Amino acid sequence: MSRRLSPELPLTRRGLLVGGAGLLVGAAAAEGANLAIGGPGPSKQLTPGEDLMREHGVLKRILLTYRNVLDRQSANQPVPTAAVHDGATIIHHYIEGFHEGLEEAYVFPPLRTAGQLVETVDTLLVQHARGRRLTSRVLDITTAATLTTAAGTQLGSDLAAFLRMYEPHEAREDTVVFPALRQLLSPSELRSLADTFVAEEDKQFGPDAFTDMVDRVAGIEKTLGISDLSQFTPTV
Amino acid sequence: MSRVIGRRALLLFAASLIALAGCGSSKPAAPPTVKTATIGGLGTVLVNGQGYTLYMFVPDARRGVTCTGACAGTWPPLKTAAGKTAQAAGGADAALFGADQSPDGSTVVTYNKWPLYTYAADINPGDVVGQALDLNGGYWYVMQPDGTPLVPHGSPPIPAS
Repeated sequence: MSRRLSPELPLTRRGLLVGGAGLLVGAAAAEGANLAIGGPGPSKQLTPGEDLMREHGVLKRILLTYRNVLDRQSANQPVPTAAVHDGATIIHHYIEGFHEGLEEAYVFPPLRTAGQLVETVDTLLVQHARGRRLTSRVLDITTAATLTTAAGTQLGSDLAAFLRMYEPHEAREDTVVFPALRQLLSPSELRSLADTFVAEEDKQFGPDAFTDMVDRVAGIEKTLGISDLSQFTPTV
Repeated sequence: MSRVIGRRALLLFAASLIALAGCGSSKPAAPPTVKTATIGGLGTVLVNGQGYTLYMFVPDARRGVTCTGACAGTWPPLKTAAGKTAQAAGGADAALFGADQSPDGSTVVTYNKWPLYTYAADINPGDVVGQALDLNGGYWYVMQPDGTPLVPHGSPPIPAS
């Protein structure tokens, strides 16, 4: 496995386009061929689904920080409000203001037009809206360095609701919605859409946005003491 | 899944993309209709011809469309043909309509110089889920028939423009 696949050295999207191995999700070579956008061999370009899924990875890591904060609350420990605020800020700008916009612009409309997953798409849209409201409240609450009892209770409730909604939300998108889009579009259309995603991200955040976001999340994890992946390995 | 069905869907999808993200080459056949509707808790606000709530975006500052790309997926602008604006119905004031050319080349309907948008998460006509939401770099508010955004108590005021 390439050293560049280490979480501490995340690949940039541009790097993947130019010279990456096309094995972002750690797939085996045969799986890589399956993920390729056209052409005879494994593609070096992310598919739109892969691109969106790695952004889901950023969200998942922030959800882990939220879970850690809930664990601290359950143990009557102080809430690290700055860490929560930092994570919510990434969600606000990168996930809710960008990633979900890509889905709403380029993923959901063709599915709806094709009459596919219409109810699912409606539910996902409603969840986007609810998530944005929850994040807005989380950001408001965590501007304070310390929380009142009421604010702490509200924060815990909002973080738990956000977690409960987004774990199945992104799992459904990864396993049902994105594969359906892939079936709907031709290889050339997928390539074009992948290029559009790159251009949109570059325009909004600059050329290394994904790497920057991963670095920021890694910093939050370090603050919370959950950056060592091995701590999550169970003893069997 | 049938590739034939997929191809047909793509033709429609292409039109959707143009409408949502603004490829700029397709022109709506007729100007869109903007009318008014009474929405519980908010009063009378502008809606599009299908009854979906219309919003303004504070960073537009009555100068032009700033929500494009992914933002326009979340907030599809109300588009019209070049040189056209909207048709007024109900309590909408025809004198307040105008149009602005988006950076993506499309033409967007304005009301009292505010570009108008719908919200993707308003699933049903009359939904107003986007009211007073801070997203994509600024606040979004519904538009009243007199051309002023409806800013709820406690939300940031709109800077003078």
